[in-house]
Order: sequence, then C-alpha cells, then structure tokens
Amino acid sequence: MPEPIIELKNVTKTFKLPHERRDSLKEHLFNFWRPRTYEIIKAVDDVSLSIQPGEFVGIIGPNGSGKSTLLKLIAGVLYPNEGSITVRGRISPFLELGVGFQPELSGHDNVYLYAAILGLSPRQIRERYKQIVAFAELDRFMDQKVKNYSTGMQMRLAFAITSHVDADILLVDEALAVGDESFQKKCLDKMRNLKEEGKTILLISHNLNSVRENCQKIIEMGMGKINEQ
Amino acid sequence: MKLNSWPWPNYWVLTKTFAWLDFKLRFHGSALGILWSFLRPLLLFGVLYIVFSKLVRFDIPNYALYLLLGIILWNFFVEATNFALVSIDNKTALLKKVPFPRTIVVFSATITAFISLSFNLIVFLLFFAFSDLTLGVSAILLVVYLISLFFIALGTSYFLTALYAKFKDVRTIWEVLLQLGFWLTPIIYTLSIVPQRFHWWIYLNPLTRAVQYSREALIENRVSNLDGIIALLSMATIIFIFGYLVFRSRAKYFAEEL
Repeated sequence: MPEPIIELKNVTKTFKLPHERRDSLKEHLFNFWRPRTYEIIKAVDDVSLSIQPGEFVGIIGPNGSGKSTLLKLIAGVLYPNEGSITVRGRISPFLELGVGFQPELSGHDNVYLYAAILGLSPRQIRERYKQIVAFAELDRFMDQKVKNYSTGMQMRLAFAITSHVDADILLVDEALAVGDESFQKKCLDKMRNLKEEGKTILLISHNLNSVRENCQKIIEMGMGKINEQ
Repeated sequence: MKLNSWPWPNYWVLTKTFAWLDFKLRFHGSALGILWSFLRPLLLFGVLYIVFSKLVRFDIPNYALYLLLGIILWNFFVEATNFALVSIDNKTALLKKVPFPRTIVVFSATITAFISLSFNLIVFLLFFAFSDLTLGVSAILLVVYLISLFFIALGTSYFLTALYAKFKDVRTIWEVLLQLGFWLTPIIYTLSIVPQRFHWWIYLNPLTRAVQYSREALIENRVSNLDGIIALLSMATIIFIFGYLVFRSRAKYFAEEL
C-alpha cells in the first residue's frame, strides 16, 4: 500500500459562535468585564481519514455537516484545533462559490495572478494560458474586467484555472451548482481525465447520481463526523 | 504556518505578481497614474518648504535638501504600512480560499513602497545636482540605512496587519500615530535645533536615526558614529523579528477573522 497522499488524524475544528459580535477595540474594552457568551460549534468532530493517490473521492452530506470546513482544513486555509493533517502534494483548491478574483483586473490578469498564487511560474502560466481560456470558453472576454463577468463566467474561469495548474490534488466544492448542463458535464469529464492522469480529487456535491457514477469512494458526513465511507 | 505543499521556490514570483498588482490597482482610474507616486511627496515638500523657510524662517543651510530627504524617507514608511493594510483588505477573498504563504501579502506591499522610494530618491538626486554640494564616499552608507528602514517598515507592517485582522480600529489608530510620528521624527526640522537634553529620547525612535544618518551621509558628507549605526541596525532587527513572529502566530486565523 503506498503512502496516503492526504492523512487526517483525529481532526477537530470548532468555531465560536458569539451571541454578540465584538469586532472593534471599543467593544472589547467596554465589555471587558462582561463575559462573552458564545456557543461552540464543532464543525469537524474527531475526523480521521486517509486518501490514496489517484482516488476520486466524493463527499456528500446535508448543509452544515462540515464538508466545506473539512475541505478548507485539507487545503490549509483553516487550522484544526486538534489533530494533525498531512498532505503530500501540491493542492489546487476550488472552494465555495466565487474564488477571490480581483474585480478591477481583467480576466487575463486574474488568470496570471491566480495561477501564480497556486504556485505556477510565469513560464508555466504562459504555456497553459490558451488551454485555460479555451476550457472556460471565454476567449472574447479576457480583456474585460472580471467585475463585469456573470457568476457563471467567473465560475467557469475559476474552474478552468484550478483544473489546469497541474496540482497533485484537486479540491472541488460545489463547482457543479452553477453553470449550465454542458459545462457541468465538461467539468466532470475534466475531473475524470485528471483522475486517469493519476491526480487525486476530492469533490463535494449534492448531485448524488454524478457522485455515485464517478467516485470510487464516497464519504458521507453528518454533524461534523464521517458517517460512512 | 505549515504549507509543505506550496512550491516555495516560487515565493519571489508571487511577491512580484502581488507588487505588480498593487501598482496597477493603486493608480487605477486616476488620470496621472504612476506620476502621483512622485507628485505626492513633491507637493508635500512644496507646502512645507513654503511654510518653514518663508513663514517660520528656519535658518538651516540647505534646508530644502534636508526637508526633501526627510519627507521622502518618512513617506516610504507611511506608504509601506498603509499599503500593507490596504493590501490585506483587498486580498481577503483570496486569503479565505487559497492557501499561499501569507507573508507575501505584506512583503510585496513593502516592496511596492520601496520601488516608489527609489524613484523619489532619483528626484532627490536631481535636486541635489542643482545645489552646490557634492556627494562624498559616505553616501555609500545610505544603502545600510535604506536596508534598515526597509526592515523597520516590514516589521511594523507585519505587526499592524496581524492586529488589523482582529481589530479593524488599527487603521484609524495608525493614522493618528503617523501624525504624531511625523512631528517626533526630524523631518521638517533637524536635530541641530533640538535641545541636547531631548536627544536621548528622540533617538529612541528608529526613524529618527534612519533620517538623521541618511542626512549626515548625503548632505553633511560624514560618517555617523558607529554606536548609533549599530543601534539602528539592532532596532531594525528587533522590530522585524518581533513583527514577523506576531504575524506568523496570527496568520493561521486570517481566514476566520478577516
């Protein structure tokens, strides 16, 4: 058995859900003597998981069951309160809707920026630029500012970038929720291709049929725990 | 932060990309664009020069050069820290969604400010060429002072942005502190008009040292005392390390706090 590419050991992530928000210094100072009341929510509760290279894993579960938090933990955007996470490879994350494009920059500039953030060198980006634009089918719009893009266009461009940066692991959160049917199909085809190239893919989806069809491993989450694999 | 999987050799690539992006966004929509980067310190210089050489009548030879150099160096510190705060705000969406070394956001902001500092220094040298002064060998020391200034600004920016993620008031407080710093640092005045008994206090401010020694190196053609230079370097190192450590311990929570 090869070494797992993603390994989680007893990972717990809690969020404090304050009953009142204290965002400024004043609110902190003036309410200093009053204890803060908040609930602690265990978004991810003592989860252990190991994923082998080349697996296409589907994550399903109702809203609020901790799927997105789990993916953000694996991506390294969030840090666990307890437990350890080991990732042996470069990650390309597509987390939640919208990806943090810079609205005032053109599509072209955003591709360069985003790919650099994901760790590509300028030469690698130049080599891939045409492929990315062709995949997103946005050739005519690349010189336009992203703030003028529709949500669907932004999603297409974002998915095109994240799936073309040659990362070892692709994390996809709800990519298929937006975009028309033909683009959804295109995304699934792309993920299948990546899997055939030996990449590891983690996909959150509410579309059970497509998950059952494509993923050889399905993780079902509920209340922050993994119910079944 | 733990980012084993991020390709670290590309750290500099992303720093450059961010710096380029900041430059592009900063002057976005303004007619004079990048010219503002020169015009702002020059306009401030014009106003202060009129006030303090014509109205208040400071009697300092080559006052214009002292003033201009002071403003340029101070302006760098102001820009670097402000760019860092603006930059972390602009990139909130990215910080929430993509893992990449967080330090780059602040580092690239300081680099951007440093680039505009070098442009401004060229302007200073043009002014200098029209004066009857000549550059001495001591001018080489400016490199040491600029490096110290860079790390002072970088460390301060790390510290400020780390706090800013949690307390948005930092920005307003910082504006006021900068106003205070402007008067506590010898920018419009020189240390020669400050009574000797205050010198110990005023030298506690590392920016005082950076400005004062740079003036000595360029305008007065002399090498400042070695103890002072060592003090400047130690202050810069301490500020940088402290700021960096605070930033590193807070950066993990940026995605939740911002």
